[in-house]
Amino acid sequence: MLDTSYRVEIPGGIELEAQVVGPVPRFLAFSIDFIIRGIFLFIASLVSIPFGQLGIGFWLILLFLVEWFYPVLFEVFRNGQTPGKKALGISVVQDDLTPVSFGTSLVRNLLRTADFLPFFYLFGLITMVSNSRFQRLGDLAAGTLVISVRESSKPATIDNITALAPSTSLLKIEQTAMVDFLHRSQQLSHPRQQELASILDGVTHGKNDDGVDQLHRIGAWFLGVK
Amino acid sequence: MNLDKLQFKASVRSGWQAIDLGYLMATAWWRTLFMVGALPSLVLFIPLLIVFSGNPFWAGFIIWWLKPFWERLPLYFASRKIFAEQTTQSEVLLQTWSLFKKDAIPWLLWRRISVQRAFNAPITVLEGLTGKSRRSRLNVLQGKYSDTAFANQAIGFCFELISCFGIAFMIAFFIPDDFGFDTHSSTGDLILAGEWFYTIFWFIAMMLVLPFHTMAGFALYLNRRIELEAWDIEITFRNLAHRKQDSTSKAASLALTLLLAILLITTTTSNSYAAVNHDSHSAQQLIEKVLDGEDFGQEKTVREWRFKNLVEENEDKIPDWIIDFIEWLEKNVDFSNADGSPNYTATWLKIMLIVFFILLIVYLLRRYRGPLMKLGRGKKTGSAPDVMFGLDVSPESLPDDIPAQVMLFWHANQQRDALGLLYRASLSRLIDQHALAFKSSHTEAECAALVKTRGINSLSSYFTGLTRVWCHLAYGHEIPELGTLEKLCDDWSEELGDAV
Repeated sequence: MLDTSYRVEIPGGIELEAQVVGPVPRFLAFSIDFIIRGIFLFIASLVSIPFGQLGIGFWLILLFLVEWFYPVLFEVFRNGQTPGKKALGISVVQDDLTPVSFGTSLVRNLLRTADFLPFFYLFGLITMVSNSRFQRLGDLAAGTLVISVRESSKPATIDNITALAPSTSLLKIEQTAMVDFLHRSQQLSHPRQQELASILDGVTHGKNDDGVDQLHRIGAWFLGVK
Repeated sequence: MNLDKLQFKASVRSGWQAIDLGYLMATAWWRTLFMVGALPSLVLFIPLLIVFSGNPFWAGFIIWWLKPFWERLPLYFASRKIFAEQTTQSEVLLQTWSLFKKDAIPWLLWRRISVQRAFNAPITVLEGLTGKSRRSRLNVLQGKYSDTAFANQAIGFCFELISCFGIAFMIAFFIPDDFGFDTHSSTGDLILAGEWFYTIFWFIAMMLVLPFHTMAGFALYLNRRIELEAWDIEITFRNLAHRKQDSTSKAASLALTLLLAILLITTTTSNSYAAVNHDSHSAQQLIEKVLDGEDFGQEKTVREWRFKNLVEENEDKIPDWIIDFIEWLEKNVDFSNADGSPNYTATWLKIMLIVFFILLIVYLLRRYRGPLMKLGRGKKTGSAPDVMFGLDVSPESLPDDIPAQVMLFWHANQQRDALGLLYRASLSRLIDQHALAFKSSHTEAECAALVKTRGINSLSSYFTGLTRVWCHLAYGHEIPELGTLEKLCDDWSEELGDAV
């Protein structure tokens, strides 16, 4: 089954899940960072050029530092997110889903030189699409992943619903589906809701609108509505 | 549409995550997707190259303009593949014409410049909608994903450029200069050979990247449909209905089993307890079996890079003062023979030898500094404790005539003090005279054992006896007889009395 999720079981037997991020959002994030670096260096050049050779020397040192340490510093001190990654809601972590450390971040960013070859990150692109975790060469060497940072879901507003306890025991995934059914009832067309409810005739013992209504109330019950 | 067979995990993803899923699909089914995209276009590309042999860019451009059509076959294949329908490459290729002619004119003309092509394509190719119905369907589907669909198209174009120039440059690097191959003339203009070169790699890049953005657009379209039609909920509901159906049919057989079980239990109540409980031995065996199993018994080798212990290596480095010393030598030593002619070699050799020996001595001193320092400290300076098990054992704390003082305490009815003093004095003398390395952490028995290691039999048997009597008094509150004490006092003078 194809899926972008990445799972890690931690020693307590708890499974952590994250969504790996592919080339398209990462390329966009890189472009944003690239533009930010460009603007910064341009402003720095305006300041340094009046100082002649000395200024150019300092500017070159600055270029070196920005080029190599911009991603490292942001990744280490800003939760694995450069400004570009933050804009796209993605973040660098180690492959056990712990925060990225200075060493690993340095390795993955120094290896951009390898990913860059032969022209504008072609090797990086090829490695990314040839493994299911979308790791480029630097990621493979450092043992890091780029994952998407979960957005906090909006609290649903539920009005005028009296909760109904389900008549039978439900698995966690089924409970989630009931809640989803309630939350997404705005998006789903009415006939489609009836169609979905009819699948559970045997469970809810209600036909058509009655079935839809029962499912909504069960969903509300799982959300803690009295 | 059989959702049970869906080949990817149905859930409502964000636009970006849907695109990532599309890239996963493209890599999973890469071979067929690439072939069904590349073969029909190659069939057209080769004649076009012949026709436009003087200006091959036009061949590339025509192939590029017809891209919506090349994308249709991979899309058709993927639409079968996601529901696990077995479709072979040749079956897809047979569909070429019927797929190409769907709503061809608009796609050939104005829709070619659509910036959300890959997202919109399934509506034409898979749903077969045209005209007004297509537009209204598009309005329903596109919604909040139009930006993401555009980004997919734009970045797909970037990837195409990167692939084209990346591959072309890499090949160009590897062509030896002797071949005389050049893409540009000496004035920097692109020559015909270069045009051919780049057109071919443009075509290759187009075909390599095509499955990716096509699948990304398709995944985005699927994601929107999952969102609007709640595929994920349908799948879960279906599974739930199945589960409940199974459990009701199971319930009937369960009732029968229960009935039987009750019958059995009532007849064998006396034995049932022993049957259920494991005795500790078999339980231990069971535990070991579980621990040996796959869940616990796995071993794996993990290799990683680590920093060496740099501090340890630095220990034997040449100190700075040696360098200073050599510099000093250079300034002050006369590098000349007896007749005044300079003789650097011999003088340097002499200095090197002297320095070498000094270094050797310094090194040896450093290397064996531990044992040497112990040697220098001698017997007395051993870190003998002043207090052992709460008793002060320093020589200063003791009276001059121990046995007399002991008897004095005894007759004053202070038996504990009497024996305590005797024991204390013994420890103190053992430390002082026999240089026993007691530590404050030693127990009485350990002290006695240590005395035994000295190999003086009479002393060790005396001390062992004393220790026993003392321990009995100190911890067991057993007061020894006067005779025992008197004998201990007499022997004390013999064994540990003032030798000085």
